Amino acid sequence: MNYKHQSTDKNNLLSISYVLFSLVCVLCSVLFCLSSAHAKVYIDITSPALRKLPISISYTGPEGAKEIPEIIKNDLDFAGIFYLIDPDISGAEITAKISVETAEEIKADVTLFDLINNKEVFRKKYTASRNILRTLAHSISDDIFKEITGREGIFRTKIAYIVSSYGKNSLHMMDWDGYNQTRVISSGLTLSHIWSPDSQYLVYSSERNKMWEIYSLNLRNYREMTLFSSKGINLVGGISHNNQIAFSSSKDGSPEIYVMNLNGSGSKKLTKSLGIDVSPVFSPDGSQIAFVSDRGGTPQIYIMDSDGTRIRRLTFEGVYNTSPAWSPDGKWIAFVGRKDGNNQIFMIKSDSTDLRQLTENRNNENPTFSPDGMFIAFDSDRDGSKGIYLMSINGERQKRITPKDIKAMNPKWSPYIK
Amino acid sequence: MKKVLILVLIIFAVGCAKKYVKETGEPVRAKPEAAVEAPKEVKVEEKIIPREVAPTPVLQAQEPAFELKDALFDYDKYDIMPGARAALDSVAAWLNKNKNINVLIEGHCDERGTNEYNLALGEKRATAARDYLIARGVASTKIKTISYGEEKPICTEQNEACWQKNRRAHFVVTK
Repeated sequence: MNYKHQSTDKNNLLSISYVLFSLVCVLCSVLFCLSSAHAKVYIDITSPALRKLPISISYTGPEGAKEIPEIIKNDLDFAGIFYLIDPDISGAEITAKISVETAEEIKADVTLFDLINNKEVFRKKYTASRNILRTLAHSISDDIFKEITGREGIFRTKIAYIVSSYGKNSLHMMDWDGYNQTRVISSGLTLSHIWSPDSQYLVYSSERNKMWEIYSLNLRNYREMTLFSSKGINLVGGISHNNQIAFSSSKDGSPEIYVMNLNGSGSKKLTKSLGIDVSPVFSPDGSQIAFVSDRGGTPQIYIMDSDGTRIRRLTFEGVYNTSPAWSPDGKWIAFVGRKDGNNQIFMIKSDSTDLRQLTENRNNENPTFSPDGMFIAFDSDRDGSKGIYLMSINGERQKRITPKDIKAMNPKWSPYIK
Repeated sequence: MKKVLILVLIIFAVGCAKKYVKETGEPVRAKPEAAVEAPKEVKVEEKIIPREVAPTPVLQAQEPAFELKDALFDYDKYDIMPGARAALDSVAAWLNKNKNINVLIEGHCDERGTNEYNLALGEKRATAARDYLIARGVASTKIKTISYGEEKPICTEQNEACWQKNRRAHFVVTK
């Protein structure tokens, strides 16, 4: 165990830990709210015949806080299940009234009114310091989303990603909508990274002093720890709900799949092949691992039980399929497949059926699911330099969330922030 | 910073319909930065970091400068192609002659693969080059390997000539 302080990015991390702590505070109110039963689900998002809910959002408050309703509208619009209607025009079935006062703090009073049944269904007061205005707005979006769908919203989640610049790769994180971009780790060349299930740790592989080692960073106290160190390439792949890390290591020569505990103890080798075995990810229930292997002659995705037994091939189309990501409901695996010379995002069911292509413009790589399973973040070079994009899992509403003047790649969506 | 962490959470009122949350914290001067602002800061800082792309072997002064040619690889492949043997043979001969010199073999890939797989592919290229040198009589203790996958290209255009230059085992003299 090798504890050391990260000095270069300490200030960034302090602000991250502060924001995460603030999130805890905001969330407490949400959890409190959950304890009472919800009267009605207005939209069943699992229904194939989903009807978008017409909603209006009205705002009273100072000009300086007008960002709040704009952020909420942007959140609800991207969710894809609402029609946003101008509050001056009739037709809305639900109206959200947001009134804001700003002094040293921001105070927001939010009510949701069911216009069909003519009754108030939700009321809550929020107070937050001004530097977390966006977090406050996302919390309101989460509450509205929860009230209407009965499900957790993703609007306070984060995305960790890599920024590549002058031959250096540093680890960054941002809000899911691309705001609040913050550098987390700049030492070495960082490539793969994952979130712990409680969002408290980032685990990543960095090349420092000609060694590829696996590190973890505690986002609360910004302590970095070396988890796995050996000769060869050690690359983190995925983590299970019970904190088992899956990774690849070539410590015995060829890259093989291993698992270990979140503190770096108990590493165990699962595969043995002459070729490449890399990029392992757990199924959400932890019982299986998808990974990439060239044991059949070309890189393809395989699935095995998480003790290393029962290896079977998942992908059969094409000669290059890599970068698996398991959907939160366990049914789908998103991956990168090469088609007509370019890399595209595909989805396939874990029994190898129902292959779907989600992208088609230039190269699209490194898919990662949102924790509710409704969206995929990925990187693409369709606009020149690589950037991070979001889309719905049916491939719709693709949009770039990082600026065009930086090379950003390899997004990893956080779990729900608790 | 401690001050900032002193957040007070007061929940009053009962039931979901009426919930009041009080959260206090040190107000910070401005509203959050827009997305475009953070990267600017990154760029400025990273400009001072020397680019590690070009080979910078730490040659001992007494050694004659000797160009160790890259061994090139086919697309998606990590076996030694016939065209790479001449380069590898000359590296092996030079290492066998200069017994006190060690070498680090860097495996690299073109940008068309995916990042993680390319890191593994680059490592396979480096170890294939190492195994070839060992078969030519170079002591295994003289050779270390590393992979940079597609992360450190020497050529950044998008054409086959450029991609071929990037699919390589690159030799760096370490002592």
